[in-house]
Order: sequence, then C-alpha cells, then structure tokens
Amino acid sequence: MTLVTDALLVAAGAYVVLSVVILYRIVRGPTMQDRVIAVNVVGTNTVVIIALFAAALDSPGVLDIALVYALLNFLMSIAISKFTVERGGVM
Amino acid sequence: MVTLYEGAIIALLVGGVFFGIVAAVGLLRLPDLYTRAHGASKTDTLGAGLSLAAAAAALGSGLPTVKVVLLLVFLFLTNPTAAHAITRAAADQGIEPWTSEDRGDGE
Amino acid sequence: MALIRTCHGHHDNSDCCQLSSGRARPVGGPVARDRGGATVTGEKLLVPVSESPTLRNTVAYAVRNAVEGEDRYDAVHFVYPASRRVAGEEYIESARELLERVAVWAGEDLGEDDPDLTVETELIGVDDYLFSPGDYVDLLTDYARDEGIEAVLLDPEFNPGENTPLLPPLEAELERAGLVVETAPVERGTRRDRLVRRAGLGQFVLLAALSYGFYLLIGGSLAAFDLVTGAISAAIVATVLWRISLTGPVRPGQLVARLARMLVFTPYLLYEIVVANLHVAYVVLHPSLPIDPEVVEFDAAVWSEIPVTTLANSITLTPGTLTVDVTRQHFTVHTLTESSREDLLDGGLERAVRFVFYGRAAARGPGPRERGDDGGEES
Repeated sequence: MTLVTDALLVAAGAYVVLSVVILYRIVRGPTMQDRVIAVNVVGTNTVVIIALFAAALDSPGVLDIALVYALLNFLMSIAISKFTVERGGVM
Repeated sequence: MVTLYEGAIIALLVGGVFFGIVAAVGLLRLPDLYTRAHGASKTDTLGAGLSLAAAAAALGSGLPTVKVVLLLVFLFLTNPTAAHAITRAAADQGIEPWTSEDRGDGE
Repeated sequence: MALIRTCHGHHDNSDCCQLSSGRARPVGGPVARDRGGATVTGEKLLVPVSESPTLRNTVAYAVRNAVEGEDRYDAVHFVYPASRRVAGEEYIESARELLERVAVWAGEDLGEDDPDLTVETELIGVDDYLFSPGDYVDLLTDYARDEGIEAVLLDPEFNPGENTPLLPPLEAELERAGLVVETAPVERGTRRDRLVRRAGLGQFVLLAALSYGFYLLIGGSLAAFDLVTGAISAAIVATVLWRISLTGPVRPGQLVARLARMLVFTPYLLYEIVVANLHVAYVVLHPSLPIDPEVVEFDAAVWSEIPVTTLANSITLTPGTLTVDVTRQHFTVHTLTESSREDLLDGGLERAVRFVFYGRAAARGPGPRERGDDGGEES
C-alpha cells in the first residue's frame, strides 16, 4: 500500500502548493469578494488535504476535523457575504 | 506492479489535482470576480470531489468512507451556495461583470 | 355599495355564487343593501390568495385599486385554490378561515365610503387534484372564464403551497391564457416573519430523525451512551429548529418518490458536471482565454424553495454558469461562454429538476427558450 500512500501524500502536497499560489489572489484582491472566493477555495483545498492525510495515515478520526472545517469554511463565506451587504436577511 | 485498485486511486488523484490546478489557474487568470467564482465554485468542487473519492477508496469500506461521502455531499451542496452568496453580495454592491468588450483595457 | 359574498368548497363556480348569495354579508355599513341600479360594466378582478406575508397588503392594494385605480372594477374575487384530496380537510378549514379574514380585511379597506364594489371570496378546486403548477393555472383560468374575469392581481408571495409546495410562474402562464396580470407592488414587512413558520408533528419527527441519524453516523457507535445522548441532542435540535428548518409538509410517499427520482437525477448531474468541467478547463487553460461572459436572466418553471434551490445549485455546479441571484423563479445567471449559455437556455437541467420534484409529466415541459425567454440580456 505504500504506492497509494505516497500518491495520497503527493496529491496533498500538490494541493498545498496550489493553496499557496492562490494566496496571490487573496493578497491582490482587488475586491473583498475576490478575496472571499479565493479564501473559500483555499478552505476547500484544506478540507481535501486533511481528508487525504486521513487516508494516507489511515487515521479516520482526522476526517471529523475535515468535516468541521468544511462547515466552518461554508459559514465563513456566508457570513462575509452577508456582512458585506446591507441587504440583511438570513441568506 | 500496480493493481487495478491502486491505479484507480491514482487516476482519481491525478484528476483531482488537475482540476485543482484548473481552479487555481482560473482564479489567477480570469478577469473579474464573477468569472473567478466559476472556477472556484465548480472546477474546485469537482477537483475536491475526485480527491475525496480517492481518499474514500483508499480508506476502504466502513464508517470512514461514509464520512468522506458525507463530506463530498456537503461540499457539493455548500460550494455553489457560497459562490452564489458571494456573487450576489457583489451584485448588490453594484460591481459590474466584465464583458468581452472590456478586453484590451487590461486587467 | 359594498357587497361581500363568501362561498366555499364548490368547484362548480357558476352554481357557487347562487348558493352563497343568501350568505351575503354587509360591509362598510350596518345594513346590507342590494346593488340596486348601479351601472354594471362587468369589470372584475381576480385575486388568488393563500397564506402569505404580503397577503394583507395585497388585499388592501386590490381593494384600493378597484375603487380608485386607473381601471376600476365592479367586483373583486379573492379565490383560494386548495384541494381537499391533496391537502386534506384540515387545510381546507384553514383556507376557509383565511378567506373569512380576507373578507373582513376587504371590508375594513372599503371603509365607510361604501363604494360600489362587490367582494367575493371563494375556495376553488376543492374536489380537484392540484399537484402540478399547471393544475393551478388551469383552475384559475377556468374560474376566470366562467366568471368573465379578464384581469388578475397576484400577491407577490402567493403560494398555495403550505401543503402543495408549488408556486407557478403564474404571471407568464396566466398571461398566455389571455388574462391581464399584474403583481401587487407590495413588500413584506421584515424577512424575520418568514423565519418561523407553521409546522406540525411531521416536521418535528423528520428533523429529529435526521439529527439522530447524523449524530449516530458521526459518532460511529451504537453504545447505550451514544443512543441516549443522541436522542437528547436530536430532541433539542428538533425543538429549537423544527419550525425553521423544514417548511413543507411531510408526506412520506412523496418524500420517497422524490428521493428515488433524485437518485436518477444525480448521475445525470454528475455527468453534466464532468462534461462542463472539461469545457471550463479547456477555456481556462487555453492561452487566449476564449471567454465571453454575459449575464442572462430567465424565469424558471420551478416553484417553491427546495426545487428552486436545487436548480440554482445545479446551475452553479455545471461550469460555465453561475447563479447570481434568484428572486422567486427569476434567475440571474452569469455565463462564462456562449455554449454554456446555450445549454442553460435549452433547459436540460431545469427539466431534470422538474422531474425530481414534480414527476415525469412535468419534465416534458418547455425550457426557457421555448417559453419565449431568450435570457433577456442585461447590459
């Protein structure tokens, strides 16, 4: 199973690199929404990275962290888009 | 020798990383936030989907796989919703979408 | 002089009003008088009503418009389309109460002026099967034809869907049937009213069961401790949220049918996602970035929250299209390329969503373009 483990870790590494690349968009902007989108993508990548690690290290408990992180990521996007408009309402 | 099982996982991972790259490239190259949201909301969702499928396959059957599937469903539900919320916020703020006429003005 | 008639529960509309004329109630004055020699031009206004946050304002607008608006009406018909066979007797009762409330409101709005306006309230379609949005359109147009009504005023939040979650894009459909349709320019007071809604035991049980299932799934064990704490947590969640999370009625048969059709829909959606993803990947990685983004708007023929949400998310998931805003059935979609725009307006996804929620018959309906909606481009 080492091949699969290696592949999973390499993929996780690739996602880390991608996330770092996306940091450019977060820093650059130019609007708030651009940054939120980029942060959201980094968040999704993070979830994937955590899940890949869980699979590679064969420790399923880590998946719970990924689940919670996915929830937080979603909430963050919604909260920021809500607070950047005055429109009010729940969604 | 690579078994079919390992090959499937690696294929899924390659696909996942490929779409992850597409999402990142799209995020950097596309001209405005609406078009960027396209890349973010779906190529990334599909990329994440494939990678999570690989993780699920690697974990084998059982509860962890159920959790990964749950994660997958959750991402598929929330990513578009988040993109929708963000772009609507942008539209409400009056940010105009980029059109092909803007090409040449530079970014 | 104002005259308010109420009649309920008869589908045969022409008989109905004769039956009920004995129940005529006086409004705006202490004594009921007949309409006497008032000139009858026969202009009538049809107002479909249902439980809605803007109903009160719609009634007020209808009455004011009929009395002093540009086109005066001699009669306003408030009708509640409700089916006993679909929604049950209890719902018919509440519809009846609502119509009585509407009659009272209309009376208040007419006030002491005692203008020459007939207000009628009626429950229609009681013995019909009202499932698909088309049924509502047919019912309303039939009623309008029988009564010689040409104008319709719509409550913007009209949704006869507490038990039948279908809000037709009535405006377009009724106009096609030859009626003059106007949507009342009223807004609900605050959005907060809509957060908490009426719900019954069904919603509570379903929510509790879902929470319990999720708890046990995540916990991954069926030990006594987990069973007990899970039950307590599920009960708390359901108690707090049962009137917020689930709005529609819980009908197990329909739920199962929808889930089954959802299983058919999912592979189709996945296929669409993959195909369109490759398309976007090509576009994004192409050196010259061949994009031609444009915002299109169209009215989708899906009605009520969950189908609309499903369609909006499906549109967003299929690359090249991104739902920016949805107001009722009006979708504002950002499209990345010409071909994704074509796909969107062909309505394949929309048909698929209709199939999931309304069954096979509804899936065959026209797509946005066939309905004459070319995506009304925004500048």
